[in-house]
This record gives sequence, structure tokens and C-alpha cells, in this order.
Amino acid sequence: MHKSFISQNPSVLWFLAALSLFTLTVVLLSEATGTAMISTSFVKTLGKTLCLCLVAIAMDVVWGYCGILSLGHFAFFGIGGYAIGMWLMYARTETIVLDSLSGQVIPPTPQEVSDAIGNQIFGVVGSSEFPLIWAFADSLFLQLLMVVLVPGLLALVFGWLAFRSRVTGVYLSILTQAMTLALSLYLFQNDSGLRGNNGLSGLQNIPGFEQTPQAIISIVFFVASAVALAAGYVFFAWVVSGKMGSVIKGIRDNEARVRFLGYHVETYKLFVFTITAVVSAIAGALYYPQAGIINPGEIAPIASIYLAVWVAIGGRGRLYGAAIGAVFVSLLSSWFTGGGAPDINLGFYTIQWTDWWLVLLGVSFVAVTLFFPKGIGGLFDYLVRKP
Amino acid sequence: MRFFLLVLFLSVTALVPARAGELQDLLQIHAEEVAKPSRRSVGMLLDDLVASGLPQVPRFLERWAGREVWQGPEGAFVFAEEDGDSLILEDIDDGTTQTVPDDGYTQLRPNGGVRRVIGSALVQFQLADPEISRRMAAVESIARRPAADQLAPLLASIEDEPDPALKVRKTQLANFLTARFGETAEARIAAISSLSSDTSVEARSVLNQILSRDEGVAPSEPEGNIAQILDPMLAPAAYYAQLVDAGFAPMQTTPAMIRAALEANIDGGTVGGVPLAQLNTDAARERAYAALAREGLAPPLVIVETRDHALGAYVFYELYDEKDPAITDAAAAALASVESRVALEQAADLALDGLSLASIYFLAAIGLAITFGVMGVINMAHGEFIMMGAYTGYVVQLFIPDYTLSIIVALPLAFAVTFGAGVTMERLVIRHLYHRPLETLLATFGISIALQQLAKNIFGTQARPLTSPDWLDGAWVISDVIQISYIRIAIFVLALLFLALILCVLKRTRLGLEVRAVTQNPGMAASMGINPDRINMLTFGLGSGVAGIAGVAIGLYAKVTSEMGADYIVQSFMTVVVGGVGNVWGTLAGASMIGFLQKGIEWMNPSNTLAAQTYMILFIILFIQFRPKGIVALKGRAAAD
Repeated sequence: MHKSFISQNPSVLWFLAALSLFTLTVVLLSEATGTAMISTSFVKTLGKTLCLCLVAIAMDVVWGYCGILSLGHFAFFGIGGYAIGMWLMYARTETIVLDSLSGQVIPPTPQEVSDAIGNQIFGVVGSSEFPLIWAFADSLFLQLLMVVLVPGLLALVFGWLAFRSRVTGVYLSILTQAMTLALSLYLFQNDSGLRGNNGLSGLQNIPGFEQTPQAIISIVFFVASAVALAAGYVFFAWVVSGKMGSVIKGIRDNEARVRFLGYHVETYKLFVFTITAVVSAIAGALYYPQAGIINPGEIAPIASIYLAVWVAIGGRGRLYGAAIGAVFVSLLSSWFTGGGAPDINLGFYTIQWTDWWLVLLGVSFVAVTLFFPKGIGGLFDYLVRKP
Repeated sequence: MRFFLLVLFLSVTALVPARAGELQDLLQIHAEEVAKPSRRSVGMLLDDLVASGLPQVPRFLERWAGREVWQGPEGAFVFAEEDGDSLILEDIDDGTTQTVPDDGYTQLRPNGGVRRVIGSALVQFQLADPEISRRMAAVESIARRPAADQLAPLLASIEDEPDPALKVRKTQLANFLTARFGETAEARIAAISSLSSDTSVEARSVLNQILSRDEGVAPSEPEGNIAQILDPMLAPAAYYAQLVDAGFAPMQTTPAMIRAALEANIDGGTVGGVPLAQLNTDAARERAYAALAREGLAPPLVIVETRDHALGAYVFYELYDEKDPAITDAAAAALASVESRVALEQAADLALDGLSLASIYFLAAIGLAITFGVMGVINMAHGEFIMMGAYTGYVVQLFIPDYTLSIIVALPLAFAVTFGAGVTMERLVIRHLYHRPLETLLATFGISIALQQLAKNIFGTQARPLTSPDWLDGAWVISDVIQISYIRIAIFVLALLFLALILCVLKRTRLGLEVRAVTQNPGMAASMGINPDRINMLTFGLGSGVAGIAGVAIGLYAKVTSEMGADYIVQSFMTVVVGGVGNVWGTLAGASMIGFLQKGIEWMNPSNTLAAQTYMILFIILFIQFRPKGIVALKGRAAAD
């Protein structure tokens, strides 16, 4: 009866093996540590894709396993990015300001230093005061704590309010979307304290490692993203297996029946919602130092819907499916929109993929929903079942 | 009556013909003053001219002020116009003209001050001018630049004013002038009190001018009509600056000044006895600066305590320019009463704004309420149907240049286009997903991004205009505070029409009956011979068609872009969810609540519409916690999922 975790979830081993192989290959082919066949910018793209895989897996747990179609998980992703971005920006600006002030005859007072940093960071929004939310920005440890705490608390409070009053299904989706919209609208304001629509920038420069070339930084972040993805995968595979996993899947399939069996449905849902929000935020905290810039546009409701699209195309209810969906759609999207795909000349009209990619995505998304509800991951079922 | 007066006027002018030389004689008596007028003494001359009652006087004054009067070699005054080297002369009294060389003639050039005095003397003639346009111009010039000396001529002209509207205006203006410049305090107070029910911008500015005040600072309380004594501790820095300006105190020493003084007085690694390396705190810097100040190398140190002490020793006050406290009291009371009226009118205006926003949300959401509420189907592409309707309107205007006609064509056409699109979408996609609502959401979202991008590919990214007909331009102005544009009224009417139409379709027609039956129990409806497939298709088409018409209406006052639907989709969902699903009245309630709420929040924080939207969404999230089924919740079996 008591089977081991691995034998219950053979996909975990396969996934870890594939991920290790992939990571090793990229490390060996990168500019910093190998043969330089993969450019630093592409290493960053791959690292970012791994972070997207992580948030897609979290989305899969909350939607594919628990049946909550959250349209807010990319907002948690963004909050994680903002939290780490605040430290990155503060620490880097502090270095620059101290450098420029060190030449003066009279040593600067702490107030002068802080004013100068404030001026540097908030000059673009016509302010130089540090808002209250930057109180911990000078400490990496506290700011890392914020990466986990802020989205965790937000998800906890929001989820508690929503699940307590039995908001389910489509209503919950709309409600989470409203939350995302409210957050992004708030961040778009100049007096939000987070530089309005300028967002936070220069995040690719890691304070304390100014002399380290980006090639090395990119590979470090790539490996860190891979490790986080692996840890996240194992953790979520553990969450959705075993008795708790059965309850969670039961909630997805028939919430009322699980409640009648005596389980406290709201607690399970709240746990899943919050823990996935926290993992999304961690993914975001790893993503944005590689992206270099974060702005409120990243948090807009559409991003969270895309997240759902990735998971749906990859295949819901299987963790590797979400990861595949994220890789497949995001890489394909950057191939099409980046001008990589050749234009198709129809004689009377030339299809330029930069214009038509979204049409293709939308239509293929409808097709997947209608004809392949299991997504790309469903293909594996055929492989396994056929002898 | 007017005709009679005109006849009377003409007969009077005919009875008193301009006798030759009459004005010339009068001018010659004051020849010196006419030739070289001064601002102070010209008044006597003008009084004489006005008292003479000669009909030539206004024309003379006008041309005198316009520097068109010349003095001839013999001292006679003439109207003259330069023509190269010669002058075209016109006699002042009889108007006969002749052309002469300009030798010996000098132009009279009254200076600006004199011209103003002449101008105000002219006002009384202009106010009684037979030409109504000139009387109006005179009245408006007084309204633009009110002055004390215009009051008497204005009052005098009211009695004989033939035009009733202008008479009212003159009376009003005379009242304003009396309030500000009246002879006696009683007259002024009476005029001021009569303004307490007038909310026009003009009346308010009159009251504010009576209440104009000057800030000042003095060691002790000053004489005069004191408006208020100010507390300097409310904004110490600003008040101290006033004290410094008045010469009562030295400048406050800012950190920058301390720093500059320290930098200027570095003496072998120390400043004022403090080593440079220690100057990284404000306390150390102040110590060093104080040492410098003791040696006389810098101005005395004024820190916050010194400043606050100095502030306490002086009185900061506001003094009315008006000396009589009775008048300022009356004006303050009148202004308070006006402002409470203005506040009432603003509330009414805000309510109108809220109403128009609510009708926009209603139009945008009613189609969604039908598909989402009645059928339980989420349509994320609803916003794109709105966009489609707006683009239909735009395309129609490309072919039909007449805006009125094009709108009349566009409304049904938009309905047809989006009805077709809705039915197609229902047949191809949604029909297969009725039992998977979350997947409907995603599939329709896929359609939404495809449609949006398609619109971008066809129409480009820039906004396209959807021009409203001329008769919808402008606004209905009720008072200076309350006004509402005709387009918004039209949208309100359209929303009402749709409410009636949809209620009628759902409650009074066979289709509505079948729709309600399928909504409540599809299985039972089917066994009664209703075809649920057909009903679902038609309902979806109807909802989409209404979205198309909403698109035309929204496009009229907002720009048509491929993203316009996305701007409304979340609000529309909120409207439906807040109102309560499956109920037209619920949508109405939801739209009203969201519309009024948004306007209310914007009013409290007018500088920031983004913040208003944020707070509104937060409010809605909280609202749904307490009424998860919306304002109008269905009861009984129909409410079950």
C-alpha cells in the first residue's frame, strides 16, 4: 500500500533528468564556462524561460489540480520581481552615490546620502522622498523576506475573503482578475512609490558584483533558476500526491462532495492558493534580475491570462505539461515576434508573423481547448499506453 | 413698443438739428484743455460737454480718443484723416469734408490716462446708443473691466433700455457694481445680500473681490478690518520666509548654507575647530558652524528652535482691502450661502456625471448580462464585439459622409454584424463547451486576442474617429456649474431604450419566454418542445448584437481603437457580477452603483483617475465578499449552479 514518492511519480525522475541534462548542456555551451556556442543574451532568455516554467507549474497546481482558475498569479510573480528589484536598485544607486560623494572635502551626512539616492531613484517621477514601502530596501535579507511575505499575505487575505464567502468558478476568476487590474493600475500611478510606469530598471547589475561580467552572472542566474524549478517541481509533485493531493483533486472535481465528506475545503484551497502565490513570487524574483527591468505593464491582467494559456496548451493536471507549455509557447512567441519566422507570401498578401502571431495563437488556443483538452502533455499518454 | 421708441428717438433728433458751430464754440472755450488734456483736469471739460446735451458729443469723444482730431492753424478743431501729405478734413459740427495740405495742422494725442477717462464718459452714450449691438458691447466691456465711475451711467441707462434681455443684464451688472462701488454702505450691503442666491461665476468673483485680502506680519496686531489671525506653526518654513522678507529676522540657516560656509572656511584640515573627517553628522556640522558664527565668519546660526521662537513673537494676519467690517461680513455671509448652493449644484452635476457613466457601463454590460447571466457562459470576447460595433460605425462613415444618416445606418448594421459574429462563435466554439465554463472563458479569450490582433492588422494601431452628428455637439448648460454634453444624454436615452427593449423581449415575447425556460431548466424546456440549441444561439446573438450597438455609442465619445473592448471588459464583468447574475434589473443596479461610485471616488481625489479605479475595484472585491450573489440575487432553484 505504501509506495515510495518516486515510484508514485515517475515523471519527477524524468523531469529532473531532463532538466539536469539541459542545464549541463547550456552551461557547457555558454560563453562564460564553455564553448561560447550560446550567447549570453540567449542564456538569459533560457533562464527566464525556466522561471516562467516555475510559475506555470504553480499555476497548474492551483488550476489544473485544485480547479481554481486564478487570473492573478502573474501579479504575484510581478510582486516578487518588484520586491527584489527594490533592493537591487537601492543598493546599486547607493554605490553610485557614495562613489560620487566620496570626492568631496566634507564627508556627507547620512541624510545627504539618503537624499541623493532618493533623488536618483525617484527623480523620474518628480519626487525625492523615500516612500514608506522602501523602508527595508537597504537590506537584502529583509527584501528577500518581502518576496515571500508580501504575495503570501496578499494571497492569504484575498483567498480567505474569497473562499470564505464561497466565491467559486467563473466568479473567482473574475475576482482575481479584478485584483490584478487593481494592482497594476495602482502601480501605474507616479505616486505609488514604485516609479509609476517607469518601473524599476538596471536590475541586471548585481550590487557587489559590478566587476563580474554579465556572462558569468547570467549563467549563475540560469543555474539558480534551474535549481528553483527542480525544487519547485519536487515540492509540488509531493503536494499533489498522497492524501492531500487526492483531497485537492477531489475539490476540483466536486467541491460539495468533498465538503460533505468532512474535509475543510476552504483551508485546502487557501493553502494551495497561498503556496502557489509564494512560489510564483520566487520565480518572479529570479526572473526580473535576468530581464533587467520591471514595469506595471508586466503585471497587467493579460499576463495572467497568458499564463493560463501556457498551462492549457501544455496540458492541465500534469506538472510537466505546464512546464512544456510555458517553454513551448514563450519560445515560439519570441521566435515569431522576434522576426525569426519567415514571412509567407500568398501572392496577393504577405503574412508577416509579427502581425499575425497573436491571431495564430488565439486560434490555435481555441483549437486546443476544443479538440485537445489534455494539451501537449496528452501526447505522452499515447506514448505510455502503447506498448 | 420698440418701434415706438425708435420713432420717438428719431423725432427728437430731428427736432434738435445740429446747429453750425455749436460744439466748435464749446470746444474753443476750453481750447487749451482740448489740445493738451491732462488726466486730472479733463473731467471738467467732459462734464461741460456732456451737460451741453449736443448730439455731436459722443462722436467727437470717440474720435478724440482715437486720435483723429486735429487742430487747424487758426485753432479750430476738425476731424481729419491723413492721406499722404494732405489731410481729409471733416467739420466737427456739420460733417462737411475737404482735402487740404497738412501744413499747420497738429494731431491731438491724448495720453492713455486721458483716453480712459474719455472712454468712461463715452460709456453713458454707448449705453443709450440706438444700435443694440453697441449697447451690448458697452455692457460687456463694463463686465470685463468694472470700475466705480461706470455705475452712475449704467444705472441711468436701465430705465430707457428697450431690449428686455439687455435690461435684465444691465440690472444684474448694476447690482454687481453697486456691491463693489456703491455710494453708501447700506446700498452695498443690500446689493451684496441679493447676490447670495446667485451661483454664476461672475457673482462669485464680485464677492471674492470685495473680500480680497492681503497677508502681512507685524510685531503687534494691526489696525484695520482684520480677516483673520494666522497660526504660523501650521507652515513654519513659509511664514518664517515672510518674516525674513519683512526684514524682521535673519535667514534660516539651511544645511546647504552650513555646508557652503564650512567649505569656504577650511583651515588646515579643521573647520571651526572640528576635524573634517568628523563632519559627517548634522550635529557636528552645526557645532562647527556655530564656532564660525562666533568668530564672525558666517551669519548667525538660525536653527528650528530659534525660528519657532521668532515666529511666536510676531502676529501674522490677513487684512481685508475693504475697510468697513459690516460690508465684509455681509459679503462673507453671502459667499458662504453661494458656496453651499454651488456645492449643491456640484452634487447635482456629479450625479449627472455618475448617471452618464452608469449608462455607458449599462450599455457595455447588458449584452454580457444576457450571455453570462442568462446562459451562464463567460464571453471574454465581449469587449471585442464592442470594438467590432465601433469599427462598423467607422467603416459606415467612410462610405456615408452625412454623420446623422451614417449613425442611423451604423446602429442596425453594427447589430447585424455582431449578431452574426456572436452566432458564428456560438455555433463553432461555445456550443461544445457548455459543460465546461472555465474552458469557455479561455476559448473566448483566445478568440478575443485573435480578433484584437485582426483589428490591429486591418485598421492599424492609431485611433480611428467616429464623428458624432453636429446636433450632438455641445452641451446642455443648466448653470455655470451644471452642464452635460448632448452625447452623454443621447447615450443615457439609448441605455433607457435598451433596458425597455430587452425587458420587453424577455418578458413579453415568445422568444423571451423560451429563453427564460431554457435558463431555468434546459431539460424540461426541451421536453416541452423548445429547441435549446436554437434558443442558446439566438440569445448569444442578441447579447453580442447589443454589444455592437454599445460599441457605436461608446465610439462616439471615445476613440475607436483595437484595444477599446479590453478597457470595458473587466468593468462589464464587475457590473454583471455586482448587480447579480441572470437579471436585467441587477445589471442596471450594478451599472448605477459602479458608475456613481467611480464618479464619487474621482470627486474625492480628482487629480488621480487611476487611483479612483483602483479603489473602486478594491471596493467591488470587498462588496462581493458580503453579497456573493450580487445586489439582485436570484432565489430558489434558478439560483442553483
